[in-house]
Amino acid sequence: MGGWMLSGIRRGPGPLIGTVVASAVAAILTVAALSTAAADTEASAGRLAGASVVVAGSTNLSVTLGSGQNANSESLPLPAYRGVPGTLAQRLAQVPGAASAEGESGFPNGTVRPGDADLVAVTARAGVPADLLASRIRAALHGGAGYTIATGAARGDVANLNDAIERSNGQSLAGAIIVPIVLISLFVLASTTALAVNLRRRRFALLRAVGATRGQVRRAILAELAVCGAVGGALGWLPGAALGALSVRALAAHQMLPAGSAAWLSPWLLAIACGASALVAWLSGQVAARRGGRTGPAQALRETAAERKWPNPVRVVLGILAAGGSGTLAVFTLDQKSAAGQLGLAFPLLLACMLAIALLGPLLVGFTAWLARPAAAVGGAPARLALAAVAAQPRRAASAVIPVAMAVAMVGTIYFANTSIQHTTAGQASTTVTADDVLSGADLTAATLRQVRALPGVTAAAGVMPLSAAVTDPDLDQAYGEAVTGGPLGRLLDLGVTSGSAAAPRPGQIAVSALEAGSTALNVRTGSKVTVYLPDGTPYHATVSAIYSRSLASGDLLLPASAAAGHTGTPAGYSQILVDGGSHAELARFTAGHPGLRVTSRSVANEQSAQAAAQNSFANNLILGVLGALSAVALVNTLVVTTVERSRVLRLLGRVGATRGQVAAMFGWQALFVAVTGLIAGAAAGAVTLLTVTRAITGSWTPFIPVSAGVGLVAVVAALALGAVMIPFGVMSGREPALAA
Amino acid sequence: MAPSFPASAAGTVKGMPREKIDTTTLNRAAPAADAPVVLDEVTKRYGRGRGSVTALDGVSLSFAAGSFTAVLGVSGSGKSTLLQCAAGLERSSSGAVRLCGTELSRLSQRKQAVLRRRRVGFVFQELNLLPELTVAENIALPLRLDRRPARKADIEWAAARVGLSVSQLRRRPAQLSGGQQQRVAIARALITGPDVIFADEPTGALDPHTAAGVLRLLREAADGTTVVIVTHDPQVTKFCDQAVFLYAGRVDRVLPYPEPTMVARLVAELGERAAGERG
Repeated sequence: MGGWMLSGIRRGPGPLIGTVVASAVAAILTVAALSTAAADTEASAGRLAGASVVVAGSTNLSVTLGSGQNANSESLPLPAYRGVPGTLAQRLAQVPGAASAEGESGFPNGTVRPGDADLVAVTARAGVPADLLASRIRAALHGGAGYTIATGAARGDVANLNDAIERSNGQSLAGAIIVPIVLISLFVLASTTALAVNLRRRRFALLRAVGATRGQVRRAILAELAVCGAVGGALGWLPGAALGALSVRALAAHQMLPAGSAAWLSPWLLAIACGASALVAWLSGQVAARRGGRTGPAQALRETAAERKWPNPVRVVLGILAAGGSGTLAVFTLDQKSAAGQLGLAFPLLLACMLAIALLGPLLVGFTAWLARPAAAVGGAPARLALAAVAAQPRRAASAVIPVAMAVAMVGTIYFANTSIQHTTAGQASTTVTADDVLSGADLTAATLRQVRALPGVTAAAGVMPLSAAVTDPDLDQAYGEAVTGGPLGRLLDLGVTSGSAAAPRPGQIAVSALEAGSTALNVRTGSKVTVYLPDGTPYHATVSAIYSRSLASGDLLLPASAAAGHTGTPAGYSQILVDGGSHAELARFTAGHPGLRVTSRSVANEQSAQAAAQNSFANNLILGVLGALSAVALVNTLVVTTVERSRVLRLLGRVGATRGQVAAMFGWQALFVAVTGLIAGAAAGAVTLLTVTRAITGSWTPFIPVSAGVGLVAVVAALALGAVMIPFGVMSGREPALAA
Repeated sequence: MAPSFPASAAGTVKGMPREKIDTTTLNRAAPAADAPVVLDEVTKRYGRGRGSVTALDGVSLSFAAGSFTAVLGVSGSGKSTLLQCAAGLERSSSGAVRLCGTELSRLSQRKQAVLRRRRVGFVFQELNLLPELTVAENIALPLRLDRRPARKADIEWAAARVGLSVSQLRRRPAQLSGGQQQRVAIARALITGPDVIFADEPTGALDPHTAAGVLRLLREAADGTTVVIVTHDPQVTKFCDQAVFLYAGRVDRVLPYPEPTMVARLVAELGERAAGERG
């Protein structure tokens, strides 16, 4: 159909404003995600700026997982230099075109193995391009296998190994977040457009009556949506770019992007935003357009809006299947022996519950309205009117209840699982340590540990050092733990060993947390062989000596300090020494004699694990923010549109003598109904998953729900629902002189 | 312009029928095949099983070319359903509907839509016009849907036939009075030069004076076009060649050259009959 049909949007955009707003929000998120994902994360070469070519032992860990046809190689940036032989510099200096080559060692994350260098910086002779020199060096190193040979911008990543790790952190977050953004944007837009089409079905019926074919109506709707999408994209461009810049800064602050990264703020983003947004609106409008096209022409003649009251049977059957599936999955999940197994099923369980709610929403609303009848008796005429409206159009009420329930289920589960884990971690940090005293300081060495053990009355002492190690669980990931030495460990740490020896692992041994040992992670038990990769990529082949359950504070792996020494990129030593027995006075005298040493509180300090946890909560909060924003748009949009649509009811009530207060109360009751039903349904759907996650990770059935956050969630939902209903009502009632004051 | 109606029906008119008509024969009367609108034994049921409602019950009627017919009856007698089935807006449950020489059940949805926009015009009681389009765009709607050029001259011609000024063409429907809006709807119905115009309570929302003006316009403008008007207003019949009375989904009688006072009395009788049956 020609562009003339679209003139309607220009002159009467009312019902489509919601679609534009939803498109704009989707565009904001897409632009922000894109400008973050494509951010300029190039690190400066820093101290290596003078070198033409930098050669280091491969800064990536590559591991082949699986075997035979299923074999695939994964790689991970290493946090420490592998080290190259000290003689490499002389060799590289001989390469034709090289002016000089100098070995470097001792920078942060450098190895401390004597004789080795972290990297070799090669300077080219005048007139020799860096790339040519690099290819000659590669040839000299027999193809360069096992080496990272960097020129230009790539030197930055070799100069600062953390840059590559931070970039990979950021990329995996972006990968995890973009798909949900697109899916939820589609869902929100689809429900918004469905509503916009539904409200105008008499208009489409008129078009059908005067001879428009189904295809013409469908194409007109799709064209409208594409235009709305493009307009929304244009509106979302600048705010999206600003949000992208903000998020890049926040990610850099959380070590999830190299410092100094800059968001991608190209003008192309405008085209991408409009195009993507139009495409998404077009895609999400397919169902609505099909339904709009099916509008019978006779509907134009019917006086009353004969909307189908109940959802179609296919939806109900699917909903019942989803509900049944959720129930079965819940039983199956709680039946899992291992915590890791339960965790693995938690997210599918949440999705199944939410799907059931989305599909059965109208039935749920009908049932709740039936349950709420006694409440209506208390609330008088306004409450009865509100309830009657809900009961008469359960599908319409459901379109507002569903986003509330979705948001509450998602936000509640993710956020409160996080608070529960943090709460338990904080608890475990202090209760895991059973030692009498903890020493910390900058310079805790093996000698310090020996001296402490020798103090009179000391019955146990151990040095611990946080450590990261790459594991295949089953993907190649960084896991966090501690390198320990000394003991007996049982007197110093209460790790909740469930099987194997409570003693510190000896060389060739490793202790693994129950979560990490589970069948969906490392899949090991006591006595199993396992290989982990130390920070410089050195594999450590070990036998599992123990499985322990209290891992939130201490980390998932316990390695002997001797195995890790020289492979961590840090000087040998400990961050803490745990001491049992002995007198405080002795210890005080000892620390007085060692400047920089001090007695600290009895808790495990695992900075790496804490940083990983902080990154996790940041990522969670980011995802929650996105979900919350989209759900809020869906909710507000639905409520505003359905409220405005009731202007005729408002007029009628005014004419039959309802006061402004009574009509306001009616709308208020409706908003309350939506908020309460959504909160209860969402809480029910989220609770199963939250309990499973809490139980699996913390061992307790009681999630930790901070009062302020719980109240805040309820307050936000209530405020959004009331605002979205009462503000349009205020505008409408102002135009309705018939309403008695 | 004489309507070609079954002889039995026409025969009842002469002496102003007081006696009960044998509606069974009336409903079964063989329709004239060449008329632009022909209903043959058309039944329309809504719903299924016990809760089903029969809105039309074996109705056979034909509307001759160029005739101007009012369809009357009490509420629920099946007037609107008759119009919807005849115009192909609803599918009949059984029986056949021939519109402009084509059996509707043989046409796909798409072809029915094309038939509607090329050969049929519609005027409804309300929601006649798209509020976001201008008057001119509303009038041109069937042409645009048919991907035909909407020439300014054609639109102005259609507007002139219903007494709309050129300046009004640029306005939006909301800026016009109810009577003017119905004129726009009539102009839209006329723009394609249709064979048939269906009107459902076109004057239902208008005052008697404006209503009379709109009907006169329709009568004059539709010169040669078959017009079927569903109404409960006896005054409408003043402009009609014949009046069809429906009762309980069946044709109760057909009255050629109806006279509004007579029609009013018949409608009142039908109302009393309905009240009697209910009570």
